[in-house]
Amino acid sequence: MKTRFLTLLIPLALLLLSTTAVSAAPPVEEIVDKANKASYYAGNDGKSDVTMTITDAQERTRNREFVILRLDATDGGDQKFYVYFKKPSDVRKTVFMVHKFIDKDDDRWMYLPALDLVKRIAASDKRTSFMGSHFFYEDVSGRTVTEDNHELIDETDKFFVLKNTPKSPDTVEFASYTLWIDKTNFLPVKAEYINKAGQKYRVVEALETKDIQGHPTVTKSRVEDLESGGNTVTEFHDVAYDIGLDDSIFTERYLRRPPREARR
Amino acid sequence: MKIGSRLIQYPIHHPKLIISLLVIFTLITGSLISFVHVDTDPENMLSEDEAVRVYHNLVKKEFTLYDMVVLGVVNEKHPDGVFNPQTLAHVHELTEFAKTLSHPTEPDKKVVGRDIIAPGNVDTIKQAGLGQVRFEWLMPQVPKTREEALEIRDSAMGNHMLKGTLVSEDGKAIGIYIPITSKDFAHFVREKLLEKIDSFSDAGDDQFFITGLPVAEDTFGKEMFVQMAVSAPLAMLAIFLLMLVFFKKISLIISPMIIAMMSVLSTMGLLIGTGNTLHIMSSMIPIFLMPIAVVDSIHILSEFFDEYQKIKDRRKTIEHVLNQLFMPMLYTSLTSSAGFASLALTPIPPVQAFGIFVALGIMFAWFITIIFIPAYVMLLKEETLENFGTPHHASSQKISFLSSFLKGAGRFTYSQSKLILVFTIGMLFVSVWGISKINVNDNPIKWFTKDHEIRIADRVLNSHFGGTYEAYLVLETRQKELSPSQTAELLMKSLTGEEGDKTTEEVLKQAKEILVQTSLSAKNSESLLQQVEEKWSVRQEQSSDAEYDIWIDLTDKLNAVKNRDQIFKNPEMLRYIDGLQQNINQSGVVGKSNSVTDVVKKVHQELFEGKNEFYTVPDTINAVAQCLISFQNSHKPDDLWHFVTPDYQKANIWVQLKNGDNQVMEELAKKVKAYMAANPPPFEIEQKWAGLTYLNVVWQDKMVTGMQEAFLSSFIIVFLMMVLLFRSPTWGFLAMIPLSVTIALIYGIIGFIGKDYDMPVAVLSSLTLGLAVDFAIHFLERSRAAYRNTGSWSEAIKNMFEEPARAISRNVIVVAVGFTPLLAAPLVPYKTVGIFLASIMAISGFGTMIILPAAITVLQGRLFKKIVPPGTK
Repeated sequence: MKTRFLTLLIPLALLLLSTTAVSAAPPVEEIVDKANKASYYAGNDGKSDVTMTITDAQERTRNREFVILRLDATDGGDQKFYVYFKKPSDVRKTVFMVHKFIDKDDDRWMYLPALDLVKRIAASDKRTSFMGSHFFYEDVSGRTVTEDNHELIDETDKFFVLKNTPKSPDTVEFASYTLWIDKTNFLPVKAEYINKAGQKYRVVEALETKDIQGHPTVTKSRVEDLESGGNTVTEFHDVAYDIGLDDSIFTERYLRRPPREARR
Repeated sequence: MKIGSRLIQYPIHHPKLIISLLVIFTLITGSLISFVHVDTDPENMLSEDEAVRVYHNLVKKEFTLYDMVVLGVVNEKHPDGVFNPQTLAHVHELTEFAKTLSHPTEPDKKVVGRDIIAPGNVDTIKQAGLGQVRFEWLMPQVPKTREEALEIRDSAMGNHMLKGTLVSEDGKAIGIYIPITSKDFAHFVREKLLEKIDSFSDAGDDQFFITGLPVAEDTFGKEMFVQMAVSAPLAMLAIFLLMLVFFKKISLIISPMIIAMMSVLSTMGLLIGTGNTLHIMSSMIPIFLMPIAVVDSIHILSEFFDEYQKIKDRRKTIEHVLNQLFMPMLYTSLTSSAGFASLALTPIPPVQAFGIFVALGIMFAWFITIIFIPAYVMLLKEETLENFGTPHHASSQKISFLSSFLKGAGRFTYSQSKLILVFTIGMLFVSVWGISKINVNDNPIKWFTKDHEIRIADRVLNSHFGGTYEAYLVLETRQKELSPSQTAELLMKSLTGEEGDKTTEEVLKQAKEILVQTSLSAKNSESLLQQVEEKWSVRQEQSSDAEYDIWIDLTDKLNAVKNRDQIFKNPEMLRYIDGLQQNINQSGVVGKSNSVTDVVKKVHQELFEGKNEFYTVPDTINAVAQCLISFQNSHKPDDLWHFVTPDYQKANIWVQLKNGDNQVMEELAKKVKAYMAANPPPFEIEQKWAGLTYLNVVWQDKMVTGMQEAFLSSFIIVFLMMVLLFRSPTWGFLAMIPLSVTIALIYGIIGFIGKDYDMPVAVLSSLTLGLAVDFAIHFLERSRAAYRNTGSWSEAIKNMFEEPARAISRNVIVVAVGFTPLLAAPLVPYKTVGIFLASIMAISGFGTMIILPAAITVLQGRLFKKIVPPGTK
């Protein structure tokens, strides 16, 4: 099982890259494709324990603890995510599930145990908060590859620097974002978002990277909201790839009966 | 040589030097005015460290609240109201424009774009078909069709949080609430928005209104300066013209103008130079100082005018005049000063500064008058005075009218003295009745006249929305600390009842053992729970799958105990808030209120397909928590923290009032207290208010009681000074009569006509005291002198109604009429001051000249017993 070629788990932070444009120069297309796969598609599946610390401008903190399971349909293609909440204790057993599609809107579900309610959440807008943190849903499941135009604006000793501009600017709050991609392993290590007034307002950064089962993996990342002055730090523990997750876990049936992989 | 003429010898001999020195002094102190720092914030009526203000700022910080400019867009004509593509395009454009606003030189003063409440900037949760819910912007883009526009309306109307706040219930108005980081930036925001609105070429039937307390307060400050620049010179001009009528000699009457100018400039210069801000209160210093500064010189001029033709020598005349007037002038200045200085006893910093500097200004004016007028008179050539004053044989028409009128009045007071006194006492009783009806109330919006744009905006928007005045009702947990053993007991109790199969029993036994052991050594409740949780989690990690889940369940129970302070997640507490809100919403003073309960109910409803029966608070803490975490999947999860702190120990009920009157706020506070007393909350909580509307109530309270104390103390001080001056309690008592009558009458009238007792009205009591006692001192001092000269009161009173009465009458007319330009002001406090200044002058002048002689007539036997008999002079 561990011999399989490994995949990375959602580095909650640094999502979204895409190859797009037929017109894009070959190096850019290649960089974007490799970065996308390095950050979202390590292994065929993966699991991680996640702790999230949300800090607001007044330094008040809130914590979340959850387990993420991921299963890829194809490398660089459709994926499924299962997020099982452990803390805070009053939302324990809450589940959030995503079927991510490259060519259409994702399917999203939420299970709220105290209301015994499974709820579909419309996913037309993915730039909403992930569970009250400064991360967006799109940061978790990845921004679809074809939504931006990419441009290599700089190359340093260590990084490729890409500027990404949305194809439909009306649907997102940013005007563009710039990615710094590590030349050695193609992991994006920093993203800076520029708003429509031309100001930098959001920064996502990889704070710690480890090699796990041969995959460079972001194990700690942070998003800063420069407007409100808050930030969210996410740490990934017990990351494992290719653990042989069953496709049936990612179904509505399992929302009420979380699988052992998620619970422990 | 008497003290008056002795003191002026130097100015008489060195007039140029004295005048140069005075001009230099005025220029130096006056130049300090250029360092002016304006502060129009009524919040500063309370000192920085005032408890309620500290709390207000804490609440603003904890709940990320800002003062708001309210921009209303109204369309009464379109069949769909504001929900048509064109109007919504304006709304969108204004919202985006507002987001960009910041102060050109102070970047910290800006609009908080992310917290603007506007259709394009608020999230709503709604049904999206197939049992899906969707979080989306209420207006993600400007709608292109009627259908899209109406969809926005329906979505907003379906959201209780938005209806009545963002959209009016009739669909004819949208409110954009623009939070700003600093209140003194509100006027700038208003101006910029108005500019932007003016640039719309297609406004059509759309109307735009801007209001909100910060706008009113900041705009008032800006307009106040225009007022100062217009009213003060106009008042000066009016005084000048009247004096011209009385004294005819421009070269001479220019001197009181110069004195007023010098006193005002140097006082304001010193105020600003000593680091005081120019506040609404201190901006009124010139207007208060001017009449007082002019009064002394009018006394001198009036006397000079009457005596010059007898003496025919300017130097001797001025010496004579100063001998007559020096003591009364000193005492009137001292008493007026004392009246204002007593304001330093109020607990309100701007009022203290106002009182101290007016007091200082009065003494300045006195000093300048004493040394400047003699110097000035000496500089005039004797020839230029040739025609000055009343030649006794040929008095002018006007003077003879005034003189003959006054003579008649003198006879009347003497013959009808008892009737006058009875009438006065009757008036006093009526006044007291009026005073008992006084309405203590204030509202910064009402500082503008009714037809002012801000008043109109206030009226229109409050007729459409839940209210543009905000108050924050903050509830805070007051749960008692538990000892480790009490905590252990509580947790033990919640673990019991968990019994079930054998595995469960086994885990439970271990868990309890750990709990009991740990509770013996734990220092406090927190560390006990911490240690137990750690120990349990070690066991949990080692356990089988079946046991693992049981351990987790137990840990949940432990967390429930740990989080028992998080009462604002508790359904019981949320329902209590619901009841409280319903109660105040029905009180008639509250337009609307929003709280964490409303958030929970709305989310709960939408999770259950928008059905009305689910517009409720769910039954368990976990269900509430899960509704709230659902809410936090929106674009603006932090909106929750406007209503509750992240530790769920404090909640904020955002109350919208349609009327910013302090009385309305007071009534609301009373209602809340009564409700909470009648319906005890399910947990120990503490209730407090914050918000600008509430702050206004607090400083008003301080103002009213502070003014009362200041007035009483200055009344006593002035009385003591009078006793000292006249060396007789009876004379001292007499001196207090005109001012007592004036104050009683003025406040009696305020009570009867229903004029609210507000800031300017409160300050007027000091002015009354200062001016009214002036006349009394002059009158009594001169009466005593006249008695000494004539030896009988019936003779003396005739003299009194010659020159002394004319001086007082001239003063009354000059000051009263001089301040009528204030009536044209668009700012109500200035109008108030204008009207009451005129009334104070009239009543106190009248009171002095009618009541005092009547009282002297009745009491003459007693009063003149100690006065030196004429024969010994």
